[in-house]
Amino acid sequence: MKQKLLFFFFYSSFFFTTAFAQQRYTLSGTIRDASTGETLIGATVKLQNASSTFGKAANDYGFYSISGAPGEYNMTVSYAGYQSQVQKINLQADLKMNISLEAANSLQEVVISAKDRKNDNVKSAQMGLEKLNMKDLDNVPVLFGEKDVLKTIQLMPGVKSGGEGNTGFFVRGGAADQNLILLDEATVYNSSHLLGFFSTFNADAIKDVSLYKGGMPAQFGGRLSSVLDVKMQDGNSKEFGVEGGIGLIASRVKVEGPIVKDKASFMVSARRTYIDLLLKASSDSSLNSNTLNFYDINAKVNYRFDDKNTLYLSGYFGQDNIGIKDLFSNDWGNTTATIRWNHVFNSRLFSNTSLIYNKYHYAIELVDKDNNARVTSLIRDFNFKEDMQYFSNRHIIRFGLQATHHRIAPSDITTTGNSSINNLAVENRYGLEMAAYVSDEWKITDRLEFLYGLRLSSFSLLGPGAINTYDASGQTSSSYQAAKGEFVKTYVYAEPRFSASYSLNEQNSIKGSYNRNTQNIHILTNANTSSPTDQYVMSSNNIKPEISDQVALGYFKNAQDNAYEFSAELYYKWLQNQIDYKNGAQLIANAEVESQLLYGKGRAYGLELYAKKTKGKLTGWLSYTLSKTERRFEGLNNGNYFPARQDRTHELSLVGIYNFSKRWTFSANYIYSTGNAVTFPAGKYSTGGLTTYYYTERNASRMPYTSRLDISATLKAKETKKYQSSWSFGLYNALNRKNPYAISFRDNKQDPSRTEAVQTSLFGIIPSVTYNFKF
Amino acid sequence: MIKRLLYIGILTATGLFFSSCEKVIDVHLDTAPNQIVIEGNITDQNEVQSIRISQSVPYTDPSIYPAVKGALVTVTDNIGNSWTFTEKQPGSYSFGPFKGITGRTYSLKVILNDKTYTASSLMPVRVPMDSLSLKVITFGGKDLKQVQVHYKDPAGMENQYRWVMRINGVQTKRVFVANDRFTNGNIVADVLYYSKDDDNKELVSGDQVQVEMQCIDKSIFTYWFTLSEQTKNGPGGGVTPANPPSNINNNALGYFSAHTTQSLAYMVR
Repeated sequence: MKQKLLFFFFYSSFFFTTAFAQQRYTLSGTIRDASTGETLIGATVKLQNASSTFGKAANDYGFYSISGAPGEYNMTVSYAGYQSQVQKINLQADLKMNISLEAANSLQEVVISAKDRKNDNVKSAQMGLEKLNMKDLDNVPVLFGEKDVLKTIQLMPGVKSGGEGNTGFFVRGGAADQNLILLDEATVYNSSHLLGFFSTFNADAIKDVSLYKGGMPAQFGGRLSSVLDVKMQDGNSKEFGVEGGIGLIASRVKVEGPIVKDKASFMVSARRTYIDLLLKASSDSSLNSNTLNFYDINAKVNYRFDDKNTLYLSGYFGQDNIGIKDLFSNDWGNTTATIRWNHVFNSRLFSNTSLIYNKYHYAIELVDKDNNARVTSLIRDFNFKEDMQYFSNRHIIRFGLQATHHRIAPSDITTTGNSSINNLAVENRYGLEMAAYVSDEWKITDRLEFLYGLRLSSFSLLGPGAINTYDASGQTSSSYQAAKGEFVKTYVYAEPRFSASYSLNEQNSIKGSYNRNTQNIHILTNANTSSPTDQYVMSSNNIKPEISDQVALGYFKNAQDNAYEFSAELYYKWLQNQIDYKNGAQLIANAEVESQLLYGKGRAYGLELYAKKTKGKLTGWLSYTLSKTERRFEGLNNGNYFPARQDRTHELSLVGIYNFSKRWTFSANYIYSTGNAVTFPAGKYSTGGLTTYYYTERNASRMPYTSRLDISATLKAKETKKYQSSWSFGLYNALNRKNPYAISFRDNKQDPSRTEAVQTSLFGIIPSVTYNFKF
Repeated sequence: MIKRLLYIGILTATGLFFSSCEKVIDVHLDTAPNQIVIEGNITDQNEVQSIRISQSVPYTDPSIYPAVKGALVTVTDNIGNSWTFTEKQPGSYSFGPFKGITGRTYSLKVILNDKTYTASSLMPVRVPMDSLSLKVITFGGKDLKQVQVHYKDPAGMENQYRWVMRINGVQTKRVFVANDRFTNGNIVADVLYYSKDDDNKELVSGDQVQVEMQCIDKSIFTYWFTLSEQTKNGPGGGVTPANPPSNINNNALGYFSAHTTQSLAYMVR
């Protein structure tokens, strides 16, 4: 099978090379920011003469390659937020041209010719893609003033928040563990700090954020719902710079600069909270010895050997610590490391080879003398990826191979002294994921574009280990000891990916897509949010890979020279082999955890509307989602479909950013959403002397709706050549609405014969102030 | 146990910095028809054993549960003994005194309006509770007094426990349940966490605490464990609540439990 696919790669590249290698020359090179040397992902190069106009976008490493018939062209290179560069070129041989674009300063941005704005969103076959503008991120108001990629992503259509102030998210009816979150290609298993109130992504260190909700390109796989592709900055290769911010909760600093000018640069960015430093200042001994903090470090180095070879090293390390004196402590964190080598074989063939390591771990320690224990758990991956891109006249062909080795250490309990608790180690699980893919972005005509491909993926559960097979009731039906390296169970899937766009004209297009995804790493949870102690399991002889099939249809329109963007997308998604667990399941440190699981199906469908204003003093967007998300499990809700908890029918968000003057920027966002689907009691009775609730249908009730207005203002201090600074003032939940976080039921304290519903709200109005600087 | 500790820790840690607020609200709730609730206990004490049959009521009604009269209630064991219970008070069926014997399986049969409900439960090995002690936990600059139970878990078998705690004669609203998955064969000290959240009261000096320890079988453990997981909402609303899996068939609510029982009293210093 693999051989067949490899053959297909070679065949296809051969085919396209010969078919289009007529009298054509190629212009190629790298597009960078003129002042920092950062590569500009997705910048476009357009060639134009009397007879034709065509363009190509730079890839993830700023590399572009565009071919045309010999002749003179006007070349336009453009990128949002930058001054376009126009020049004449004479294409009489293959040309190499590295291009630097000047960033438009904020004033110029307003007057930038609208013609420079792109209509890629209309023309490209890619759909279901949300690109986050890192500049918007500076202005969107957020909790505690800590600008956050994941919280801003939640304001996009089709993306639902994991809960108030929470960085967890759900995409088009998927579960929280069905998002593939990548930081420089490394998987970030747990993207939250401090129980989800902050994300692991320090905005200072981030260059580009793309969220694929559908139409997943073939190079991505392993999760059902979405790919969040986060890329770190490379570091300024021209000059040294320091920037940072001082906030209420955390402070951050970033240092970057050239190691060898224009050849090698570095970037280091760090962030730490200091709530516990305030605690330390307290004279109360029981307070000042508690801990509650997180920190993270992003670092990246790159070295450009020559125009054909660049090496990147990047890493992330983050850690959370919570501890209560003499009682317990809990720490958790991610570590990632990525080595990448870009190689340009020729002006048309670009290759990237990556070696990636990533790990998520947690430890809980009970310090009590009678019950001391240390519980540790981790999931670790080694990853190899080879990705090739071949640029021809009307095609961009992409193909590659990927292999990932997983290790999950579910639980390891160690104790000392006279603890009530025993030592216990649940044995490691090993898995191997492999994939081969090929895709083609094909401009068939000026109006019609296809992006299609196939991903062939396999997952194998590897020995050693005790392998039990469980029947539907959770009883062991057979068991044996697998040897080291033994392939216990292997699943192979072909995942077709197809998207097409048809442009009605320059400003209007229709798009459609279908894609299949599979998933082999699963989190066991039926709680809403991610927790530091999430239990990971792999596909196995009992757990089948999760599968999703999604179809989507969209209409895209730009107006007034692309100053306004509008889109409407309809999607329907089928989910198979979804996982839940039985009532009363014991998940922690349970070697037989697979006996506690239930398997079912899901379906999700919806309509997403999005309108964005990208130009003028007032910019922003409006997004609205109408959707339904359901699950079905044998043994839950009498086997009927029931709403998933995050099934919020209506969701609306409105973001406005107003550039009042050179110094003042005001912004506001408003969100409204239907409440979560929850299970409320339909009756009550008494058992064991306690009021016990009687439940009928699962998730048939609704929490009250959520609505919130956040506002912020940014004041730029007087700029000098050397030093820039700004103040950001924010009000989270400016209307101080008590939004529902949880609803529980209890006996009335005065009259225990009556029961009452109690709503818990998390955040009222919360002011914030942050000082940012750069020199 | 580990989960509970972790959970309390996290809540407290976040509670220190994020002010949350609670309010009583009106919610629209569906009303299901009243359900049959059977609550049966056979203890290892030579006493009058009783089975109570009642009905559930709509959530909005007062918590007064109508007695179900006129049922035929029999209990048998696996060596051929049979006891026919009689209705001494409305909805309360009893027999005795007699006592349950460790290792025997007791079966309940209730016939009501042409419907038959059955259940069975194994009387577990009796594990004695050695003592109660006071445990003081300090968080947020506050001393919280807690009661700790001490017992020796027998090695070589699976054991499940439930505790019922009464403070000054009033039963607490938290479900205390444990098994020996992590503590097999050890001398165990389990803290019975009691907080304002559950009962609007904290333990203070002079409180008279009474703890009953029950050794229960596996299905009864699952019943109470499921309830204990639902008693408090975790971040984001906790686990999705559901009816705890009953060992009684025909969709009756409640449980039938053969268990050992032992009580100790303790005065909080």
